[in-house]
Amino acid sequence: MCLDDQILNTYLDGELAEPWRTQVAEHLNYCPACNARYEQLRILHKVVSSSRLNEEEIAPYQQKVLKFIENNYVNKRKKIGFIHRNFRVSMPMVLATAAAFVFVLAGAFLFQGKPAGTLGEIIPQVASSTQPGSVVQVRTTEGLASSRFLESYSLEEILQYLDAKGYEVDVRIKGIKPVGTILNQAPFKAPEKTDTPVANEDVDLEASPLEPGQPSEGTAE
Amino acid sequence: MEIKSSDNESFRHVYSEVFPIVMRVAYHVTYNMDVSEDICQEAFIRFYEKNISFRSVDEAKYWLIRVTKNLSINVIKRKSREQAVVEKIKKTPSVTVRNGEEALINEETRLLVRDAVEKLPEKLKSVLVLKEYADLNYKQIAEILHISESNVKVRVHRARKIMESMLDREEMHVS
Repeated sequence: MCLDDQILNTYLDGELAEPWRTQVAEHLNYCPACNARYEQLRILHKVVSSSRLNEEEIAPYQQKVLKFIENNYVNKRKKIGFIHRNFRVSMPMVLATAAAFVFVLAGAFLFQGKPAGTLGEIIPQVASSTQPGSVVQVRTTEGLASSRFLESYSLEEILQYLDAKGYEVDVRIKGIKPVGTILNQAPFKAPEKTDTPVANEDVDLEASPLEPGQPSEGTAE
Repeated sequence: MEIKSSDNESFRHVYSEVFPIVMRVAYHVTYNMDVSEDICQEAFIRFYEKNISFRSVDEAKYWLIRVTKNLSINVIKRKSREQAVVEKIKKTPSVTVRNGEEALINEETRLLVRDAVEKLPEKLKSVLVLKEYADLNYKQIAEILHISESNVKVRVHRARKIMESMLDREEMHVS
């Protein structure tokens, strides 16, 4: 036997895909053994399939069942009036409608005919239990003034301190030059030095004598 | 064409097209005309009442076949528990529509086939009935039974193998 029964059955049902279908057809043409087996399977299929319930046997049941469904379901549904009809409304919708209704009703009862001045009587007031005098603002850093860090001083305070110490400080922002110097400058020339001697081009905060724990007198809190 | 199962026109259209198929499915699983009638009625009532939308008549057909097949399987499972009682009331369709010698041979063969189909295991029976009596292809059967196409192929083959061995014991008359 060259072709197995499963392939032959699949071929018989017209479910064998190409190129196998053509190959099986060709094979059946010259292989008597496979052809005989195919014929047996074809007859089996025909016998099984042809013993089916036929149209004439089905027809009376088809009419009977249809009549039953039409009488008990299809026609009954038509007669249902508007009042008896089933309305399907989702639960959230019902709740939302109820809530809105209560809100509107409550509002109507509460505020009906009341002057604006008496509203205070209706609306419950929330009284605070704390006395205004007993509230004291507490700053956690207040008692620790001596331990201020360098970052907590503003630039102005630092400059004030340095000025008091006798330093002359020139503050510049990198990449930005005073307007006057740009106008006088030729392109690609080194910037001209200003008359006032500058200790450092940028403010070197680390080099300043300001030390933590030595707050200046001028720096107020 | 979209199908709304509660729409009267759609319902009648599907009913006239699909009833013969589901009746055959129910009959060839239960082999009892009255039981098949009840099953089909139940399937179409569910179809009408559930108000389902289907993309096509075929989709509605697959749904109905699936429901019918499940109801039929439930009946035969119950039947196996109440075997003795059901055997007594088992009914076959009348044979008056057939006559002559050929019809008689066919009727004999029919009974042999029916006995063989009845003895098939449930999984093979469902596939064979859908293949031979509902005229569905492997893909459609796979969709209805929620199994793969290759599984359908294997089950068809196995079912036929068993059918052949059972029918071989009897003398098969094939025209």
